[in-house]
Amino acid sequence: MPGSLEGVRVIDLTDPRGFLAGKILADMGADVIKLEPPGGDPARCRGPFLGGVADPERSLLWLALNTSKRGITLDLAAERGRELYRALIETADVVLESFAPGELAARGLGYETLREAHPQLVHCAITPFGQTGPYAGYRGHDLVAVAMGGNAALTGDPDRPPVRCSMPTAYYHAAPEAALGITFALLAREETGRGQFVDVSLQECQLQTLLSAPGQHARDPRAQRRTGARTGRTREIWAAKDGYVTFGLRGGPARIPNLIATVEYMAASGVAPAWLCEYDWSSFNHNTVSDEEIERLEAAFGAFFRTRTMRELYEEALERRILLAPCNDVRELAEHPQLRDREFFVTLEYPELGAAIEHPGFFARSSNDGIRLRGRAPQIGEHNSEIFEALGVSETALAELVSEGVV
Amino acid sequence: MPAAHPSLRELKLLELSSGAAGPVAARYFAEQGATVVRVESAKRPDFLRILQLTPDSPHGLDGAPMFILLNPNKESVSVNLKTAEGKQIVERLVAWADVVLENFSPGVMARLGLDYQRLRRVRPDLIMLSGCLFGQTGPQRGYPGFGGQGTAIAGFNHLTGWPDRESYGPYGTLTDSLAPRYAALAVAGALLERRRTGRGQYIDLSQIEAGVYSLSELVVRYAANGEIPSRRGNRSEQAAPHAVVPCAGEDRWIAIAVFDDDSWRALCRVMGDPDWARDPDYATGEGRLRHEPELDRRLAEWTSGVEPYALMAKLQAAGVEAGVVQTLDDLLADPQLAHRGHFEEIEHAHLGRLRFERSGFRLSENPGGLDRPGPNLGEHNQRVLGEYLGLDAVEIAALAELGALE
Repeated sequence: MPGSLEGVRVIDLTDPRGFLAGKILADMGADVIKLEPPGGDPARCRGPFLGGVADPERSLLWLALNTSKRGITLDLAAERGRELYRALIETADVVLESFAPGELAARGLGYETLREAHPQLVHCAITPFGQTGPYAGYRGHDLVAVAMGGNAALTGDPDRPPVRCSMPTAYYHAAPEAALGITFALLAREETGRGQFVDVSLQECQLQTLLSAPGQHARDPRAQRRTGARTGRTREIWAAKDGYVTFGLRGGPARIPNLIATVEYMAASGVAPAWLCEYDWSSFNHNTVSDEEIERLEAAFGAFFRTRTMRELYEEALERRILLAPCNDVRELAEHPQLRDREFFVTLEYPELGAAIEHPGFFARSSNDGIRLRGRAPQIGEHNSEIFEALGVSETALAELVSEGVV
Repeated sequence: MPAAHPSLRELKLLELSSGAAGPVAARYFAEQGATVVRVESAKRPDFLRILQLTPDSPHGLDGAPMFILLNPNKESVSVNLKTAEGKQIVERLVAWADVVLENFSPGVMARLGLDYQRLRRVRPDLIMLSGCLFGQTGPQRGYPGFGGQGTAIAGFNHLTGWPDRESYGPYGTLTDSLAPRYAALAVAGALLERRRTGRGQYIDLSQIEAGVYSLSELVVRYAANGEIPSRRGNRSEQAAPHAVVPCAGEDRWIAIAVFDDDSWRALCRVMGDPDWARDPDYATGEGRLRHEPELDRRLAEWTSGVEPYALMAKLQAAGVEAGVVQTLDDLLADPQLAHRGHFEEIEHAHLGRLRFERSGFRLSENPGGLDRPGPNLGEHNQRVLGEYLGLDAVEIAALAELGALE
């Protein structure tokens, strides 16, 4: 089934900051052409590698985040390479890149130049801080974006430095945002016939993770610090027998039944203290309850959770509708009965590597079946012949370009 | 609103949702000029309207800052879905709308008689998105969690924190901000597709799946090599130093990341080429990764007396990646965010001037913008029922009489 972005051609020039953005568009059916320098993208040298064998065709980062794309090699530093790039742009709807602001323009390939000949072009750039402004020239990967975007200051234990997630979540936030900006620009083009520039800032995308905390703070300033395993005044992360679970004493009257159900679970297990069984939840309000009371409740719940495994707790939580969830690791995700039931994982074949690898299969399920992996990531220059020939480059000319190191 | 989006100006989106994820998805369209109508009820208010509510909250359901801040540019109609007349109003609104977005628990829309199969009879090319934690099918679809649970289940908590301590989520229930982007994208894509084919579609979005899809690299590493990555503080596999270190002042920090040898040499120059940094072990990335604890300690000694913004400017000027760990106060004063117009000040009748936030991208020709605060419950009943549905005052009064507008 064709996807929503069927017929849209994207030239993907990104580094790992934008790989996921290109993948999303490709998994929605766009014809995404990943452009690498001759010899392959530098990210291909990044481990871990499939089977631990260092090889540019086996980088798992590359394989994971370039699904459904086609791949060509082209040297944009060479004049002939830039000529071919301009020819390629004539066939394209979207350029997606993550160069520092001005870097493409310095090569004569900036949006301002290209749009003269191709007013229909949509150009999207993912950068740390955006194209203009006092920090536009600043460098940054995930850690800098998470720090400058306000999330790090509120994440971590009070007695240690602020901390990030160990996977680059700044890119995860920016990727669908870039894809959305591009899709909005394509919708606008349907009306106007003209493309436009989509300026994505990693830092600015981070602010949404704060879910309006800056605006609330501007109105009612309160010193906010990172509180580790607690959210506000109450504990959110609890030790189970074999790992950690989330469970909160907060959330207003709507969550009271879940606290009562937890006490019932404890009582059924024979470990609920008498005072807890008789607890009057009708007047419980997490905004007004005393610190001593929070301490007493947390001691009772905490002692119980430590006697049960994450899985035991979660199974009862499902049964009794308790807001408790395990802090899963990737193996638990891969084996998750819910994800399995929905056939969330799909296996891509890598015959040239003698491997088959499971990938997450979609970010949403469409009744038109348009959002899904369409194929494995491209090998170095895998689609050179078909793409350059379509641009009118003969087989001989292509061989020449290869020997000159342009392709 | 500046330069509203030409293709979204005419777009009508009907939203039946609560919390953060659903409303934020619709906000992207509201920011670009679409008409977004929220169907709400005082009988079962959005939990963001009651989250911070105490008995002495002066404006009740209409004074919740988080609700107001997350729902700018939208209109609210109050409809009691428990009444037959209320359901009829929703059906008529579906016929009016281009897109329906809902995030009730799976099965609720069907019980109300408002599921996709039924609504597409009202509007055959309907685009409808159902967002929830686990998706519309499967044995755990009924699990009643929120973003905090979704973030833990999707694996982000396990990956955040220090190896010797408990895991915790990145601040702000991460899947709550991730999922709405994918939801808005799926809907925007469906609009493009409908223009091309004339067909609508139904989209089933699981907040957890959207999170795990983002973590494709992690899943592939496990599937291929059996690796189970865990939290590693601020360490990176590619860069060292890659740390958050203290600066002058109370609880002030700076992030510094060195991805290549050039940046390392630049960092050494800024530090004044200290003797310890000349150790040949530090000249290569591999060597720096091997000696990371010592490097972090040395770096912290050097940064701890320095003002963070001056240090960031100096390091960035030398070509070293650095960023202040910005607090909420810092963000509100950030010159880069100000340059991008990230915060838009809008007056709210009860709460005064509030700072609303833009999304993370700007369209050069159609920047969009925000000019109205999140609505009071039922604030736009007259407009929605009168103007959009064409009901007259007598009909509206009759509906109110029947309790359909509570």
